[in-house]
Amino acid sequence: MVVRRMSSFPDELLEHVLAFLSSHRDRNSVSLVCKSWFRIEAGSRQRVFIGNCYAVSPAILIRRFPRIKSVALKGKPHFADFNMVPPGWGADVHPWLVAMAEAYPWLEELRLKRMVITDESLELLARSFPNFKVLVLTSCDGFSTDGLAAIAAHCRHITELDLQESDIDDRGGHWLSCFPDSCTSLVSLNFACLNSEVNFEALERLVARCTSLRSLKLNRLVPLELLHRLLVRAPHLEDLGTGAYLHEPRTEQYSKLKVALQNCKGLQSLSGFWEVAPGYLPLVESVCSNLTSLNLSYATIQSAELTNLLGHCHKLQRLWYLQVLDYIEDKGLEVVASTCKDLQELRVFPLDPYGQGAVTEEGLVTISKGCPKLTSVLYFCCQMTNAALITVARNSPLLTCFRLCIIDPTSPDHLTKQPLDEGFGTIVQYCKSLRRLSMAGLLTDKVFQVIGTYGKCLEMLSVAFAGQSDFGMQCVLSGCTNLRKLEIRDSPFGDLALLAGSEKYESMRSLWMSSCSVTVHGCKELAAKMRNLNVEVIHDRDQFEDISTMTQPVDGLYVYRSVAGHRKDTPHFIYTM
Amino acid sequence: MASGSKVTLKSSDDEFFDVTEAVALECGAIKNMIEDIGISSPILLPHVSRKIRSKVIQYCKYHVESQKPGVSEDEIKSRDQEFVKVDQAMLFELILAANYVNNQKLLDLTCQIVADMIKGKTLEEIHNTFNIKNDFTPEEEEEIRHENQWAFE
Repeated sequence: MVVRRMSSFPDELLEHVLAFLSSHRDRNSVSLVCKSWFRIEAGSRQRVFIGNCYAVSPAILIRRFPRIKSVALKGKPHFADFNMVPPGWGADVHPWLVAMAEAYPWLEELRLKRMVITDESLELLARSFPNFKVLVLTSCDGFSTDGLAAIAAHCRHITELDLQESDIDDRGGHWLSCFPDSCTSLVSLNFACLNSEVNFEALERLVARCTSLRSLKLNRLVPLELLHRLLVRAPHLEDLGTGAYLHEPRTEQYSKLKVALQNCKGLQSLSGFWEVAPGYLPLVESVCSNLTSLNLSYATIQSAELTNLLGHCHKLQRLWYLQVLDYIEDKGLEVVASTCKDLQELRVFPLDPYGQGAVTEEGLVTISKGCPKLTSVLYFCCQMTNAALITVARNSPLLTCFRLCIIDPTSPDHLTKQPLDEGFGTIVQYCKSLRRLSMAGLLTDKVFQVIGTYGKCLEMLSVAFAGQSDFGMQCVLSGCTNLRKLEIRDSPFGDLALLAGSEKYESMRSLWMSSCSVTVHGCKELAAKMRNLNVEVIHDRDQFEDISTMTQPVDGLYVYRSVAGHRKDTPHFIYTM
Repeated sequence: MASGSKVTLKSSDDEFFDVTEAVALECGAIKNMIEDIGISSPILLPHVSRKIRSKVIQYCKYHVESQKPGVSEDEIKSRDQEFVKVDQAMLFELILAANYVNNQKLLDLTCQIVADMIKGKTLEEIHNTFNIKNDFTPEEEEEIRHENQWAFE
């Protein structure tokens, strides 16, 4: 048998070739080559990523890919992080779990972001998938520590349990004691967001028997005095989130912790640090020189000590940092700029999300001057200037993600009192790889014109209190060829702008508009024109108001393409057009 | 059986070829046959031509040699890469042969090369590289595209 063409390859050999392809893009390309390649690829795909849980249904997933082992699902729109999506909106994972329990009993991994998962769902998960290994719940809600207990008790092969920033009904720390003695497989455990005390001895035993543990993020109630006992049992830790450092250390505790920390020679990432007693900080300094990632966004350390700490972090690539009141924070950033030459990602958070920030534009400029590898910035500040933004654009042309928040969202350039159009426009123009942009301050239609002209790599754009007319939004829709997500709040864009992007929304994951000038009429027209889009109006109306005749602007609008048709689980405040 | 023993292989075009037993045992299917019938008679490989058989033997020889001390990972890798610098037709025949004689390492090596020819390519490039006919209707193709891009990306 001489076969020279791939088209007559036996199925199992094509499958063997495809086993070496893991990216979705490659596998999606393969699926379009011909019918047999489609069939073989679909039958062998093991990992799936679903960027919008409502763009597809469990039935369609299962029909297409019968052998999935790993699922990642994203639910609510990004603005849910700022409490702009009403409770009860949806993104309940339960129907997915019910379907997968039957179709994928071999499921190993589930990663959810901004989804609702109940204790009932967690119990179903724990009992349905005997090979289950990885559970990552990022910004999820709907469950309690009882659900976690079910996971701990029944997932015998669990390697990863990560509760990243989820909103959990914390009924106590007993869940941790539910890991059986036979559980030795944990590689990563993150319960930093929980607020009850776990049984320390149970935690200690768990850490001791899980010899592959590499990432451990404790909550604030694990006292620092006992941390050395955990570290001694986990010397291969790479990523540590500490508990609280409430009291000043006694000499004996201090030296034990020092030895234990220094023994963790692979430690690259640190977080936690709630309420740090200054006496402990020199300890942290001793491991700083190896750190590539430091998350101080919970740390209410007084800044002088913090500045000292940062001065030792020569290898730092990622820094998340919380501003503390009553201190000129720009100084801390000066130390970062002169020490952290490898810095790629910087996030500076405000202590009070509704109140004051202490950093100014100076801190950002200093960072951009000192850190040539900067690619990702999230910066909450109290004031900004065009000149500063232009300097940042010139110094940091490698930026892929730039998110700025100013405490007063419509503040102009604080020196010239001009809009910040020029500054943001220069960022978009100079940073040719910019994929994500979130703007703030006084902005006119001009900035959107520049974004439309130069923002060719832009995939995600966040707009708040910006623009003057429909023209602004139209520029973005027509110019940003790679746009995938557009989220807009409190901006004067209406039906004309909405309809201008009709065909474009099929090439995007989603559009969010809230407190804009879009009306039901415009939404209906969009829905009638574009049958593949779900056009969902979010509006809290009183019971006698007929939404279909409403002429005032809608509270919110969420538009997304879907192969699954309209949602069947919309709450009372959502109307599908 | 002494490790220096010879095994005779007979290819599809009736050619006989001797190899050491160690080399022959690299291929799972040949190993099974040897366990069943011994090495006194030739092992028949009717689906493997002389040309392909000699390439497969060459690969097996390399790997027996590379198990000796002093051969670095890098040397093995670069030898492997040289080995698969063949035209597409030969590459596919090697995959089939590796599958037939059950040599997992050779199968992985050759399949990885084909996967590398697919990685990062556009649909059109894949069609051209492998000369495969698109048998979807335009409607079927659009449906799959939508599903790929809207649901699974």
